[in-house]
Amino acid sequence: MEYILKNGIVYDPINEINGEKKDVMFKDGKIVNSVSDDAKVIDVTDKLVMPAGIDVHCHLAGPKLCVGRLYRPEDERRGVKPKTDITRPETGFSIPNCPATGYRFSKMGYGTVVEAAVPPLEAKHTHEEIIAIPNIDIPPLTLFGNNWFILQFAKEGRIEDIAAFVSAWLKITKGYGVKIVNPCGSEAWGWGMNVHGIDDPAPYWDVTAREVIRALAQANEMLGLPHSIHIHPNDLGHPGNFPTTVNTIDCMKDIKKNSEYRNQTIHLTHAQFHCYDGTSWRDVTSGVEPVADYINKHDHVTMDMGQVTLDETTTMTADGPMEYDLYELTGLKWANKDIELETASGLVPFIYSGRNPVHSLQWAIGLELALMIEDPWKVCLTTDSPNAGPFIRYPRVMSWLMSYQRRAEMMDNKEVHAWAGRKSALGTLDREYDFYDIATITRAGPSKIYGFEDRGHLGAGAIADIAVYDLEPNNFDPTRNAAEVEKAFSNALYTIKDGQILVKDGEIVKVVSSKHVRTEVEGFEDEEKRILEEIMPFFNRYYTVKFENYVVHDHYAEPSSVYKVNASK
Amino acid sequence: MKQITLTPIKFSSIALEFDELIPDEIYGWSKEDFEKYEVPVGNSRFPLTDYYDIEVEGEAQSPEEVKMIIDGDAGRVKYIGCKMDAGEIVVNGDADLHAGAEMEGGSLTVNGNAESYCGREMKGGEITIKGNVREYAGTSYIGEWRGMSGGKLTIHGNAGKQLADAMSGGEIHVMGNCDILAGIHMTKGFIQIDGDVTRWPGGQMKNGAIVINGRLERLLEGFELDAIVTDPEVEGRQFTGKYIKYTGDIGVNGKGTLLLNAEKNRHHL
Amino acid sequence: MAYEPPVTDYDKIVENCTCAFCGSNCDDVDILVKDNHVVGVRHACRLGASKIMEDEDQRLTVPMIRDENGELVEVDWDTALDKAAELIAGAVRPVFYGWSETSIEAMKPGLELTELVGAVIDNQATICHGPTVQAVQNVGYPLMTLGEVKNRADMVVYTGSNPMNAHPRHLARYTTFPKGFFRKRGRFDRTLVTWDPKYSDTAKLSDIWVPFEENGDYAFCNAIRAVLKGKELKQDVISGIPKEDIVALTEKMKNTQFGALFFGLGLTHTLSKQRNIDIAIQLVQDLNKYTKWVLLPMRGHFNVNGFNIFMSYEMGFPYGVDFSRGYPRYMIGETTTIDLLNRKECDVFMVIAADPGAHFPGGALAHLADIPVIQIDIHWGPSTELADVVLPGTFIGVETAGTSYRMDSVPIFMKKAIDPPETCREDEWIVNELLKRVTKLKEASK
Ligand code: SF4
Ligand SMILES: [Zn+2]
Ligand SMILES: [Zn+2]
Repeated sequence: MEYILKNGIVYDPINEINGEKKDVMFKDGKIVNSVSDDAKVIDVTDKLVMPAGIDVHCHLAGPKLCVGRLYRPEDERRGVKPKTDITRPETGFSIPNCPATGYRFSKMGYGTVVEAAVPPLEAKHTHEEIIAIPNIDIPPLTLFGNNWFILQFAKEGRIEDIAAFVSAWLKITKGYGVKIVNPCGSEAWGWGMNVHGIDDPAPYWDVTAREVIRALAQANEMLGLPHSIHIHPNDLGHPGNFPTTVNTIDCMKDIKKNSEYRNQTIHLTHAQFHCYDGTSWRDVTSGVEPVADYINKHDHVTMDMGQVTLDETTTMTADGPMEYDLYELTGLKWANKDIELETASGLVPFIYSGRNPVHSLQWAIGLELALMIEDPWKVCLTTDSPNAGPFIRYPRVMSWLMSYQRRAEMMDNKEVHAWAGRKSALGTLDREYDFYDIATITRAGPSKIYGFEDRGHLGAGAIADIAVYDLEPNNFDPTRNAAEVEKAFSNALYTIKDGQILVKDGEIVKVVSSKHVRTEVEGFEDEEKRILEEIMPFFNRYYTVKFENYVVHDHYAEPSSVYKVNASK
Repeated sequence: MKQITLTPIKFSSIALEFDELIPDEIYGWSKEDFEKYEVPVGNSRFPLTDYYDIEVEGEAQSPEEVKMIIDGDAGRVKYIGCKMDAGEIVVNGDADLHAGAEMEGGSLTVNGNAESYCGREMKGGEITIKGNVREYAGTSYIGEWRGMSGGKLTIHGNAGKQLADAMSGGEIHVMGNCDILAGIHMTKGFIQIDGDVTRWPGGQMKNGAIVINGRLERLLEGFELDAIVTDPEVEGRQFTGKYIKYTGDIGVNGKGTLLLNAEKNRHHL
Repeated sequence: MAYEPPVTDYDKIVENCTCAFCGSNCDDVDILVKDNHVVGVRHACRLGASKIMEDEDQRLTVPMIRDENGELVEVDWDTALDKAAELIAGAVRPVFYGWSETSIEAMKPGLELTELVGAVIDNQATICHGPTVQAVQNVGYPLMTLGEVKNRADMVVYTGSNPMNAHPRHLARYTTFPKGFFRKRGRFDRTLVTWDPKYSDTAKLSDIWVPFEENGDYAFCNAIRAVLKGKELKQDVISGIPKEDIVALTEKMKNTQFGALFFGLGLTHTLSKQRNIDIAIQLVQDLNKYTKWVLLPMRGHFNVNGFNIFMSYEMGFPYGVDFSRGYPRYMIGETTTIDLLNRKECDVFMVIAADPGAHFPGGALAHLADIPVIQIDIHWGPSTELADVVLPGTFIGVETAGTSYRMDSVPIFMKKAIDPPETCREDEWIVNELLKRVTKLKEASK
């Protein structure tokens, strides 16, 4: 089937198309340069056209989510919607059920959403949820930062063995890339402890976060994976944590990148939670400046925001000790889930409020980051959904980034506490994102950062993942109309996925299966085999499942989209 | 005023659901509108006229001007007055699950017993149950730590287990006896029980007040004896006589107040 | 046990099968096969082995329908499926119950069917660990996978359960006896504690037995929490336990390196039901101020947890989910099976991989006798006596592969060892057929 999307105003930063009136053509699910006369015309004259959105970091499928859903029926009850002729019933606000997750992303014009944390032992569960989520492609990141094998090998400096292990475990878990969460800290949580900073060793293993991060990054580059290491650093959410953040990025600067498409060797996630100055919640201030300054001066790092949206939400992370701290702070119900030999994790409901000084400062810090980092290619829009806010708020975050007036208004009329202005530089930042910038931080940048050569742009050969919004960029001022920006980005005029129209006029019109997007390294098979043989006795002794039953079988990952990586290049 | 009278003519063991029949929705309805209306029953909807004779008298410009009478047993009619904001509903018989749940205003009177979840998450208005209530009256939704937050629930008879879980405001008055764990996880609000209580009122309570005028069987370890007080005033209400005053539940660093009628509860001293 | 000579006469061994019995989901079971029959089972416990070897007499082999005389008579698959579909399509308050002994793969079409007709879908949690789920929803869920306990725990507490009888390999495989990474000497490196009014087989093995009185669980936990908060206990004996013992135990729990609390139905089925779990969870949360503690409910069937997980990710609620109004509703006491039966609301009941005939209270069973019942199962059981349509399924983990979730939520792919009897059909196929047929009926009546 051939289509021509006619006369839209196109923003496609990878191809340096900045608001040109242009036709976008696609055939059999791919973008093409020309179509025949039989092509079906979709008239989008003067409307805003972008590649479909890519979310670089979201928690949407897997065991943590499921604990959240299971233990928060009060959240599920928010957002209940009956089935329609096309869609299944929806539930949930911060942790929607799987069908709602797909529909809601699709309605916002998103086509690819990264699941940010997969514990290998329960990877099947993540893939089962991906099967239950419709309409978006999902690359899952596999957790490695507290894995016992990695801790041991990192201690011994065995980089090639780590590469072999990572290569094998990406296949075993059907994962896309390497995720590191509070390295050494989550292992310490196995004993109810934590580590502080990147040089505080994990109990027993006697290896530091610095060693683990560097080792995994070197292995990552040895394999030439499409994505760099993706890190949630130590000391999340602690006043005074910005030096840890800078140290984490800085300890990477000599590591050579092995990828033509991406620029970075480290992706710093939910940076907002890692940019605090001060010593306690009483004297906390923004620590954005030194972090932004570092990022402005170095090109080996990219980041995503982790923007606070001031909602009642559910926090969930593999950072187990952080969640217990949060529980002690709020007294709200605490869930925890430690995974043998691999990771910890925890959950606590959280109510972010504009009346609360700390939450308001957090809100300001997220925006400050996006506004103070000069190059939008280094910035991605996220809320670490659902941690700092549910993903349905992305359009609101866009509206904040696009309008200085709206930000000032929020600070002036007390929608946020005075701390937002007083303890951060947000009030002084009059930079405003334009549609090209928005397309960069939600499409083009993520495509580069993840090595998604086939998406995030509208060049010929890319998959036809396209979003059209009901805004006319040439007749509309986003700096003055925040509410309309939010509304338009929340309800795409069209969402097209693999050339199929899934959303029309903000409603789901078609439901398709999501693809499991994963990486497979070729050319490292011998190393993988050798390392598996070496670790198997240990595996059998200390895991409680048989290796054969640990592996994610193919039928959990259908349909798949596999990025093949040639390790020998 | 508009008076709507529903007189039962047929019993359905599969419960009818009345959440759409609240004054806020129906104040403008004519008799014909009611006759056209199909009420949810299980996975279907059937004409309301299958189950009721319908009488509509007078006019209403707003929900405040509505009085709806279910003139007979509604023991299989769920969600009566659920989420109502104004007006009056009277049930001349029993009411099924969720009577007055999430109510925000107006009044609901049940001249009979009420099933579980009566007054669940009530925010305002008044509910009067002339008979007994089953479990979870004035409670929160499962998992929700913010329960009943306002309004008044009066129970002339007895209350079942786990009254007012996570109550965070408002007032409950049980004139009869009360089963275990009244006011569990309570954070605010006021509960008065005139009859006897089996055990463990105020388990894990953080704040708020419970007054028991009858005999309490078992008290939890988490309650510290403060003093014997005479003619205490609790949350702006005056009580006469001697009361034993406790604070708890210290297991959760609670600062809740539990008052037991001293006369009837000497066994705790 | 009498000595049984090892089985030597077999064609092949299928290794690392998963035992489809209790929530321990032991995945190290070897099944010995000869002529497509199971002739031996290695590594499983008595319970598991006998389930896998189960005597074929009781097997449901053909579809059946109850005739006018009240007798179950053999029919072909089409007839049986059409009859079941007709009952489901015509129901006003259908309930689809069970699912805890089948695979996630079979639950999928089951949920689709539920959504299609606006039924209630529910599992055994409704009669067993439902209160646990409610407690978790109220106060939280600090858990771990079993390997964490194996590798780290130096104190293990069981309460309200007797794993030596109900989960026989739980202590041996996961918690107490195995040599863990940080517990190289296995049993010798751990303190085993049982809180139980009865001197159970597990209590007999334990280092410490705390026999609190029946219904004393809530007050006992409340007292430990008070001691943790530094409070002096007033009563000399609480729930039948001297206060000195409570204080001493609290100290031990505080000073352990890694403690794990396992609780069973015993705790959920006493007077204060979910509140016992509620307070036990909070106790574990409190203990984390001092050291590491985790907990886990001892789930019974091998996929009872799987159903709760499946429903949570698909529809946001774990069990007892009512789709009658087109959207999911979850309300204990209203949308839960026993209540719907006791209130005589349910008008068609489908039971899959469960035996209400053996486990439901009298009132609920009496109503089941009055309404059409569809059974999907592999064995004759008390429920077959109530059934009007019988659809014979296959044995997950032996004859059919599929996914289950262990009690600690670790997903396990259960493989098959032999082929199912020719006349039986996989649960997934049966439910899918019902879905197709009901869809057709619904479309025809539009
Ligand atoms: S403990 Fe349970 S799962 Fe393991 S073999 Fe015995 S019955 Fe089967
Ligand atoms: Zn994180
Ligand atoms: Zn995250």
